[in-house]
Amino acid sequence: MPKKKISPYYIVGGAFLAVIIIACILSLLGVGPSPLKTNSADKLLPPSASHLMGTDNMGRDLFARVLSASKYTLLISVAGVSVALVLGTIAGMLAGYFGGIWDRIIMLLGNSIMCFPGILLALMAVAVWGPSLFNVIWALGLVFAPTFARVYRTEVIKIKERDYILNAKILGVKPLRIIAVHIFPNAFTQIIPAVVIGLANMTLSESAMSYIGLGVQPPKASYGKILSDAQSYISTAPWLIIFPSLMLVIYILGLYFISEGIRGDR
Amino acid sequence: MKERVTYILSRVLELVITLLIVSLLTFAAFSIIPGDTASVLLGINASPAQLEALREKLGLNDPLWYRYLSWLKGAFTGDLGDSTAFGKPVAELIVSRLPVTFGLSFLSLILVLVISYPSAVISSGKPGKFWDQFFSVIGHVSFAIPPFVLSLISILVTSKIFGYFGVGKYVEPSKDFFGYVYCLLLPAFCVAVPKIAMAFKFLRASILTEKNNDYVRTSKSRGLSNIKIMFRHILPNSNVSAITALSIILSDLLGGSLIVEQVFNLPGLGRLLLQAIGRRDFPLISGIVFYLAAMMVIVYFLADILMNLCDPRLRKNGGNI
Repeated sequence: MPKKKISPYYIVGGAFLAVIIIACILSLLGVGPSPLKTNSADKLLPPSASHLMGTDNMGRDLFARVLSASKYTLLISVAGVSVALVLGTIAGMLAGYFGGIWDRIIMLLGNSIMCFPGILLALMAVAVWGPSLFNVIWALGLVFAPTFARVYRTEVIKIKERDYILNAKILGVKPLRIIAVHIFPNAFTQIIPAVVIGLANMTLSESAMSYIGLGVQPPKASYGKILSDAQSYISTAPWLIIFPSLMLVIYILGLYFISEGIRGDR
Repeated sequence: MKERVTYILSRVLELVITLLIVSLLTFAAFSIIPGDTASVLLGINASPAQLEALREKLGLNDPLWYRYLSWLKGAFTGDLGDSTAFGKPVAELIVSRLPVTFGLSFLSLILVLVISYPSAVISSGKPGKFWDQFFSVIGHVSFAIPPFVLSLISILVTSKIFGYFGVGKYVEPSKDFFGYVYCLLLPAFCVAVPKIAMAFKFLRASILTEKNNDYVRTSKSRGLSNIKIMFRHILPNSNVSAITALSIILSDLLGGSLIVEQVFNLPGLGRLLLQAIGRRDFPLISGIVFYLAAMMVIVYFLADILMNLCDPRLRKNGGNI
């Protein structure tokens, strides 16, 4: 068999993701100036050799803040999608495998959650419980869970009619074991595109929440927060808008390209 | 006919149950909070007697189910009590902000339709050729830009190039309708862009699927022009499947409007919600959240019914083709 050509989507998408991951690693290693150190003498400096992306209104180095923000963006998107994936997997499997009343209840609950437009439900949860990294993660995880539950449900319904599942049933294998050992691994490959898109959508939601002040809380840096702080200086210090926006778009675009690549392979 | 009636009845039942779950979710969020409304309102210096008096006045001492039912009754009769932060009825506050948020969502929906349809038709005309690639690349990129980031960038660009584009100014529709549309145009565009890409992608795919059908080949062999086939046969069929996609897009547009209002400083529901959150005004937050969600429940319901009327095949298989 001739070697398959790797889709350009993977190459571009992978390169984009690499930018964010390298930024995250640099931030974890503590490279460069501190993202928290303020310096009243260096306010709103344009990009230069000593401040690669310039400085903000408090004299903090924007490059360091952008690196630090990539850390939280990655953390929230991965943790949030994990929460959603666990909830969605359990709900979708139960709904798909047992059907009937289970299916009805779970799908109605999922549809109801999906009726809250945009990030409204997550906003409400954070409004009640207070904005913190942990609350943002589980609130967004809850909001995204029905999407995964739907994909799983469809897959499980398809898989459970196959012969090997019927054989397992005849042999007296318990339903939970069938779900865990036979259905889950087969359905999981189908959910990967949804996970990649989920990471992108999670980032979109988190950045919007941080922008309106209900996401990542200062002094932690996040793209949304940097951008909302920068808005007052939009005409005097455009670099404060341009660099964080660029990083945010690069991450999301990278994820979309990877998902396009996966779709093309199928 | 009988099929249709049972179908609509089962959908209505589902609508009612969904509305109840949505209301329960909204209410539950505020009943399991750490610390209750009374202590939030009075602050940390309140005496126990004061707290008790306010709890009694707000009905916080009643059992949970009773509070839920009275809240639910209030929600359906449009009387959710007074906002604790503004001292006005919740319903009145919400209605006063509707022109901004609904205007913004509606305008962006129009933009989505006006831009996505022609580009999808052009793009699917010759798949893989220049215009298709061109629109697809733009689609990918615009998909990845969060509306609030696009708003910031457009403020940056318009202020640098055109001077001023009415950013931060809001004109009441009753005073000057064109001024109102004008000041919402740029925000609406920012809300719409990612959804234009989504609608484009969906329409392009569904037009290409329709094109593979036998009736298209037959029409071609009968000598119908491509344009006629597109407008008489393919588009009406694609529209049916587009109804659901458009209802989901509308929900996203509404959610996007709430955020973008904030960037452009427009006095809409999004701003009201944030003010309410900042002052922990629970009656107002729950009112805004519930009414917006309830509205989407009804939109999805109508989309379902509409789709069903257009495509009788859906009734037989319980909603799946």
